[in-house]
Amino acid sequence: MSAVEVAGVPAAPVRRVSTRFLRSELRLIAVRRRNQVGLAALAAVPVVLAVAMKVAAPDTSDRPGGGPDFFAQITGNGFFVALAALGVELGLFLPIAIAMLAGDAVAGEANQGTLRYLLTVPVGRTRLLAVKYAGIVAGAFLAPLVVAVSGLVIGLILFGGGDVTLLSGSQVGFGEALLRLLGVCLYLGVCLSALGAVGLFLSTLTEQPMGATIALTMLTVASFVLQQIPQLDWLHPYLLTRHWQDFGELLRDPVSFGALTPGLLSAGAYVLVFATAAWARFAGRDVTS
Amino acid sequence: MSVFRSRPALRWLVPAAAAVVVIGGGAAAGTIVASADPSLPERSAAQLLVDVQNAKVDGFSGTVVQTADLGLPALPGVTSGAGGAELMKLVAGSNTARVWYAGEDKARVALMGTLGETDVIRNGSDVWLWRSTDSSATHVKLPADKNGADRTPSALPSGLPSTPQEAADAALAAIDPTTAVTTTGAAKVAGRDAYELVLSPRDTASLVGQVRLAIDAEQHVPLGVDVYAKGANDPAVRVAFQQISFTVPDAEQFTFNPPPGTKVTEPSAGDIAKEREKAITPEARKAQQQATEGTKVVGQGWTSVLVAKLPAGDDAKTGPAGEAAGQLDAIVGSLPKTSGAWGSGHLLTSALFSALITDDGRVLVGAVAPEKLYEAAGK
Repeated sequence: MSAVEVAGVPAAPVRRVSTRFLRSELRLIAVRRRNQVGLAALAAVPVVLAVAMKVAAPDTSDRPGGGPDFFAQITGNGFFVALAALGVELGLFLPIAIAMLAGDAVAGEANQGTLRYLLTVPVGRTRLLAVKYAGIVAGAFLAPLVVAVSGLVIGLILFGGGDVTLLSGSQVGFGEALLRLLGVCLYLGVCLSALGAVGLFLSTLTEQPMGATIALTMLTVASFVLQQIPQLDWLHPYLLTRHWQDFGELLRDPVSFGALTPGLLSAGAYVLVFATAAWARFAGRDVTS
Repeated sequence: MSVFRSRPALRWLVPAAAAVVVIGGGAAAGTIVASADPSLPERSAAQLLVDVQNAKVDGFSGTVVQTADLGLPALPGVTSGAGGAELMKLVAGSNTARVWYAGEDKARVALMGTLGETDVIRNGSDVWLWRSTDSSATHVKLPADKNGADRTPSALPSGLPSTPQEAADAALAAIDPTTAVTTTGAAKVAGRDAYELVLSPRDTASLVGQVRLAIDAEQHVPLGVDVYAKGANDPAVRVAFQQISFTVPDAEQFTFNPPPGTKVTEPSAGDIAKEREKAITPEARKAQQQATEGTKVVGQGWTSVLVAKLPAGDDAKTGPAGEAAGQLDAIVGSLPKTSGAWGSGHLLTSALFSALITDDGRVLVGAVAPEKLYEAAGK
């Protein structure tokens, strides 16, 4: 008896949702060589950054406040290597990583001709899409964590740890600072998951993974650019990248979680709209390759 | 689900509906906040002013958002470029600050930057200014005697109204010839019911349409100010609480210990006076004197125009001051030229005010249409 018949029986006993498909998808993402190299590149940025700061330290201490955010504090506390690296990579590296995953998710399978084989296994298209998105979300949470951990390790080795000065000028112990850093990573994970939903939709539109990847990267960069144009301030609340920098709210004292709500709501809205759009496109289209 | 299976095109209704709900929901949430009408017992303007004066809050904390849309023209070096971004935010954009207040001598204001913060903290006689961008702190100790003077209300000169009621009546009577004062009982600010005190200029030549002051119905503290340009539906300037709580904040909000690695400057009161003395060179004093001589106010009330003389003197155009003057010249030069019976000059217009810089070195500023400025310039 075939799987179609099983699904068609209305009074079928409650079927336990198997995680096998999800596990196989995650394993597939993890063993892909380009994903491993990408992750290594993400982890390399904080190392380069920290070494550069170590070598050039005497110069930069003369002009405090120079360089991007958190750079000035790096020489005082290795903790800030992680934050500075996250701030730098958020502009391009992290979105590219997500774009790569999203491009592979559906368009990649279609390009390799493996999508139709996937569709012959007894899972619905909706479930297939859900598993693909789960894979992207896993990547979205893993990528900032990798950057943070790599930054922390190299920062502690080169500059040492200690009490961390927050944006408000008060100090917290290293343990609490780590907790806040974890919060920053989770927040960025949510933001990147929203980006991943847009990427999933783009991925269902094409059979060229590179097309989806480039489109999503361009979208991110365009969003960052539009954000800088004051004449377009009516558009700003709707931009995908609008609230990404809000992760700084977690570094204030006291933390105002209310300030994170707009970012989380906006991310939720993007996920809702683009995940359903991906579903509408994918479940309805003819898979020819 | 079967509908979706037989007609796949219908699936697109789902994301479309989601988009409508999300965008519409966001917009609706905004309008609900703006247009809720709490039914509050009616109160007159005088009663409201008395309420405000009698208001006693032990402490509060909240978030204040300032937005401005003055409709300024593009100015080189001010409204464009990275350096101008901060300044630009004040006249067209929004700023967020968090405030904590626990009695007169404990207060903290934190101005939020994207990944930075500027704090002003007062705790007793200590005042700290902290800037996270360059991790610097300034510590000022307030003289103790001044503190004492602040707290003795007996220092009030006689002849001033002694009760809040009298003061409110006097204030209303004083502004009555120029301003119509009305109240509404229908405002919601930071999720709290509020009365609105509406000041509208009687003189129709003013560019200011209305000034609306929102006053909390329960605690009687001002929650927000909106300034509307004439005929505008949205405020040109708005400063209002986005969220407020009337519980007294913890004492630890007001303690500031400069973290290690901070550049701390501690100017004493004597130093400040000395620096001020040093900054005022004889020439500057002369220029200042000239400036005050040339400064006058034409007209009265909402349509008064300030006329000032630019400090003249080509010898000043060297060094950093000259550089600044050169920049100012460039900005003025980019403004549209006008001329009339009064002479010629450059005109700056915005939603709330106009400014005229004449070629003979006068500056005229007022919350009026340019014609009024020309009139004042011709006098």
